[in-house]
Amino acid sequence: MEYIRNAFASIIENKGRSFLTMLGIIIGISSVITILAIGNGMKQSVGGELNDMQAGGITIQINAKKTDKYLTGAQVRMIGDEVPEVYGASPTISGYGDAVARYKIPANFKGGNEYLFHDQKNVLSDGRYFNENEAESAAAVAVLSQSEAVLLFGSTDAVGKSFEAIIGGRSRELTVTGVLKSEERDITSAYRYNSGRDKSYQSIRPYVPYTLMTQGFGLAGENVVSYQIFPLPNEQDPASLRARRVTENMMGLRGQGAVNVQSFASMLDSFEKILDVVTLVVAFIAAISLIVGGIGVMNIMTVSVTERTREIGIRKALGARTGSILLQFLLESAMITLIGGLIGMMAGYGLTFIVSKFMSFPPQIRLEDVALVVAISSSIGLFFGIYPAFRAAKMNPIEALRYE
Amino acid sequence: MEKLVDVIDVCKIYNPGENEVRALDHVSLSINTGEFVAIIGQSGSGKSTLMNMLGCLDTPTSGTYMLHGMDVSHMTDNEQSDVRNREIGFIFQGFNLIQSLTAQENVELPLIYRGVSRKERERLAVEALIRVGLGKRMDHKPTEMSGGQQQRVAIARAIAQAPPILLADEPTGNLDSGSSKEIIGIIKNLYKEGRTVILITHDPGIARQAKRIVTISDGKIQSDIINPDADV
Ligand SMILES: Nc1ncnc2c1ncn2[C@@H]1O[C@H](COP(=O)(O)OP(=O)(O)O)[C@@H](O)[C@H]1O
Ligand SMILES: [Mg+2]
Repeated sequence: MEYIRNAFASIIENKGRSFLTMLGIIIGISSVITILAIGNGMKQSVGGELNDMQAGGITIQINAKKTDKYLTGAQVRMIGDEVPEVYGASPTISGYGDAVARYKIPANFKGGNEYLFHDQKNVLSDGRYFNENEAESAAAVAVLSQSEAVLLFGSTDAVGKSFEAIIGGRSRELTVTGVLKSEERDITSAYRYNSGRDKSYQSIRPYVPYTLMTQGFGLAGENVVSYQIFPLPNEQDPASLRARRVTENMMGLRGQGAVNVQSFASMLDSFEKILDVVTLVVAFIAAISLIVGGIGVMNIMTVSVTERTREIGIRKALGARTGSILLQFLLESAMITLIGGLIGMMAGYGLTFIVSKFMSFPPQIRLEDVALVVAISSSIGLFFGIYPAFRAAKMNPIEALRYE
Repeated sequence: MEKLVDVIDVCKIYNPGENEVRALDHVSLSINTGEFVAIIGQSGSGKSTLMNMLGCLDTPTSGTYMLHGMDVSHMTDNEQSDVRNREIGFIFQGFNLIQSLTAQENVELPLIYRGVSRKERERLAVEALIRVGLGKRMDHKPTEMSGGQQQRVAIARAIAQAPPILLADEPTGNLDSGSSKEIIGIIKNLYKEGRTVILITHDPGIARQAKRIVTISDGKIQSDIINPDADV
């Protein structure tokens, strides 16, 4: 206790120098914190999207760089009929805009046909899906999840209610035919958002007929360049191979590599590779600055020990044991790096907060990161403080007392 | 009288070999509890070497040093630290206060290393500071005090835990004559209260105040006399 007070007093006494010493640690720790927070936020939001993909369909895309041919909605339906390993196929035409009811929420409308609902994750809680007739006739209908219903209407009870959909300046009144189940915590967080207690970014993804996107909002003309197939259980690979072949035959594109399958595994793989590289680079920078910071601490502590030779002599003459002096200086260097680490943590959180403003995902700050920072920074201080502390502890009291 | 210090045929040799220096050359010296002894000698005579030995800051090359009945001539660093803490109150020429600590914190230092509780430490430190007439300056740092006041803080530090021996090395060496008188006065009072005082000096005027005067020259004890003129 006494030692901690002493160490603190000594750091305060040399504020300027202590702070400069801490800089390396501050930079190191703040980059660790920033990358952890951003990485976790990114994993969560991208991971969530990838999960959707795994549970849902496999996306098949026509590469516009290699061909200017395209499919129609009817052709997509035909492909679904010709591939035995799938329930069916649905065009996917997305449009970004807003949905307005009690609240106005940014929305990414996902247009498709009725096979869109062969998604293993989609469980109806209320109402019904839109049917083939509606899908093909540009019916002004939509299917939402419970949490989206809360965001839009303030309650999960949304069947039969209508809202205004705005895409690219065009506006249509859509009626909700069905509501899909959401996780309890998503519903809770939607309520929190509506009550103003949660300021995190929220958007919705209503399902609508693809013909509504093309005819109603004038998106993509009649052209379908990407569609999803909904494979039977455990038939993902044969289904996507066959769908690709059928598409190539239908469009006369055999052997041109113009039809791509975006499988879940390949996307997850490339996403994780990117994240790994980013993490590695930042971890490398952080490690370098922590080591540089640690050497700085060792340097300053060595200078400090030399400057305080006489003090050490006095303490020894008065009965300080080797261990007491060792402890005194180890605690001092650990405290410098710990304070540096805590400042770095705050700087890191500040930085994360700023970065998250420019991105669509919320940063994740976790308690174990705080514990990690405390552990890393104080062990750096302990490790790099060993040499100067030993120098202090091993001093000969007579010589130390004579030191001017 | 109890034998407190018993130095038996001690040598201290620096740079053994070709140009060795015999800083202490077969020195024997006993001091009893309650004595007031001045050790006097010219510069280079071996006073500081003897004082370091008596204060357990150093060990002899040969011979035995019995302190309080313990053989302290062959101890590890940590054992020496403990003996210093328990047995010796140091008063140095250069005061040797820690500049960043207040008077009271300086006085508490040896008590910290002794493991005295915070409350008890505070009580002992305040008591010692009042005893040397610094009751009103406990929160001052050394830089805010005169030399005489600093030396009084050092005395308070030396007596706070009531060690058996007060070891003063040229305690007035850095002081003007007024402050010197004051400090010697305090030391004499401590002796009168029954403490054992060993005072090292090169100044015969100061040595004359002690009851017993040991003269050292070239590492040997030249004379060891009872001082009839001591005004204590
Ligand atoms: N660490 C040392 N190494 C070598 N010689 C020393 C050392 N310390 C003291 N001496 C020598 O020992 C002799 C006694 O020195 P010292 O005890 O300091 O005398 P005093 O304190 O009476 O001036 C001197 O000749 C001095 O040069
Ligand atoms: Mg000397």
